[in-house]
Amino acid sequence: MKAGVRLCGDDVVSVACEDTSSAQALADHLRESGEWLECVAGIESCVAQFDLEAVSAEQAIRRMASALRAVPAVRAADAAVVEVPVCYGGDHGPDLGDVCERLGLSREAFIELHTGSEYGVDMLGFTPGFAFIGGFEAAQEVPRRSQPRVRLAAGSIGIAGGRTGIYTLPSPGGWQIIGRTPMRLFDTGSAEPFRLRAGMRVRFVEIDPDEFDGWCAE
Amino acid sequence: MTFTVLRPGLQTTVQAGPRRGLRHLGVPAAGAADPLSLALANRLVGNPLLAPGLETTLNGVSLGFQSEGFVAITGARAKAWLNGERVKPHRTLAVAAGDELEIGPARLGARNYLAVAGGIDVEEVLGSASTYLPAGFGGLHGRALRRGDVLAVVPGAATPGKLRTPKEFRPLASNSWALRACYGAEVDLLNEESRFDLFDTNFSVGFRADRMGLQLEGARFEVTSGGQLASAPVFPGTIQCPEDGIPFLLSIDAQTIGGYPRVAQVARVDRHLIGQLRPGDHLRLLWRDAGSAREELLAKHDYWGKWLPGIRAVI
Repeated sequence: MKAGVRLCGDDVVSVACEDTSSAQALADHLRESGEWLECVAGIESCVAQFDLEAVSAEQAIRRMASALRAVPAVRAADAAVVEVPVCYGGDHGPDLGDVCERLGLSREAFIELHTGSEYGVDMLGFTPGFAFIGGFEAAQEVPRRSQPRVRLAAGSIGIAGGRTGIYTLPSPGGWQIIGRTPMRLFDTGSAEPFRLRAGMRVRFVEIDPDEFDGWCAE
Repeated sequence: MTFTVLRPGLQTTVQAGPRRGLRHLGVPAAGAADPLSLALANRLVGNPLLAPGLETTLNGVSLGFQSEGFVAITGARAKAWLNGERVKPHRTLAVAAGDELEIGPARLGARNYLAVAGGIDVEEVLGSASTYLPAGFGGLHGRALRRGDVLAVVPGAATPGKLRTPKEFRPLASNSWALRACYGAEVDLLNEESRFDLFDTNFSVGFRADRMGLQLEGARFEVTSGGQLASAPVFPGTIQCPEDGIPFLLSIDAQTIGGYPRVAQVARVDRHLIGQLRPGDHLRLLWRDAGSAREELLAKHDYWGKWLPGIRAVI
């Protein structure tokens, strides 16, 4: 792994990473060591917070340097692919028309493209469980909305800058909303509150509005 | 024991310790914005330092008690009344069935804390009882208190001694603050003048100020990120500087990932003060290197540890 360790703040160490996958591998490795308070992978960095009471900055940097020598270069891929049902367009995806126009695609062609690949979950963040899903290259040039929406329904699926994002909770949001999933991806009442984790593989599957309602009724 | 909310105030929530070790799942810390004051209140009623208590915002709260118990008030400088009679903060107060307790507006500082012997009885969500408002979980139904809400207190608490916080352990409320801070990861994206101004500006806290974070006014920084920065982890105490040049200080409910340059990080030693900043307050950042920020943290722990054993888990 090509990386530079630097202190940012008094109790946080940041490592530049080549890509999201190596950032995740490092974050997982650090978390398993139990030596850090928080281990968070960004898009091109891995950041770890340490207990400044117990560990000095110099010690933390040394720990990180030795972790970098021990970490596997790329994280082992999670075997399972999570199928996420999506009802595209209509009330569930108010920006689908604009997005199709921008990309010069028909609705059907867009859905075929979006459902045609497997994607990796780059990270969870922003709000609890919000999933940044990478690899939708066709939408690289799709920007965020200039005026974010004040409230999006839980399950709303947006695209921006080559990524698909899933709003796991009702929240404001600036991504272009192309559809919505009825799947509950974050449930504090569940033993496993987070359906998706960084590093998992995802495939989107089209459902129609009736199937969407059927899922919700279950 | 139960008590009822008679006047909920601007934003009163149940807060305890932060959620820990879940930022990689997008789960923010939450918890008392001023954990030192929550700990001081809990100390006076014999609770663990981070037992669930109430956190008020700017204009206090009024409560009616259905049975007897013990409470304590700390935090912002504010008057308080028990059945119309003035009562003092920083001491153990006995309440009886039918009593009404009122905390008035904060005159200095932003938040008051009310601890109840036994602690407020709410379920832990993701490892903490603290309310996280943006996602609506923790505390009482994941929301701020409303008129008529009834809160239960964990029964079986031992009768606490009648205590007063010793004078030397009462934090001073202020409208002018200095927070020790270190450079952030992207400080180099500030031009030279802005880098200097970061630690040479009398900031004032803007009206955009809540548990997520506070806008700092008084300087307009030049950043050269071009809006193209890869999203990167942020923490309470991180100071981000968006392209509009107005820095934003993240507080206890801060999101886990941000897309703006991280220009500074308020040092752990002073992070607990962020929760008392209010719109219009003056603020300066004092530069520290990581080594001295640690020495000063250890010194603060030594000092407060004399009254609050266990302070290391609080600040």
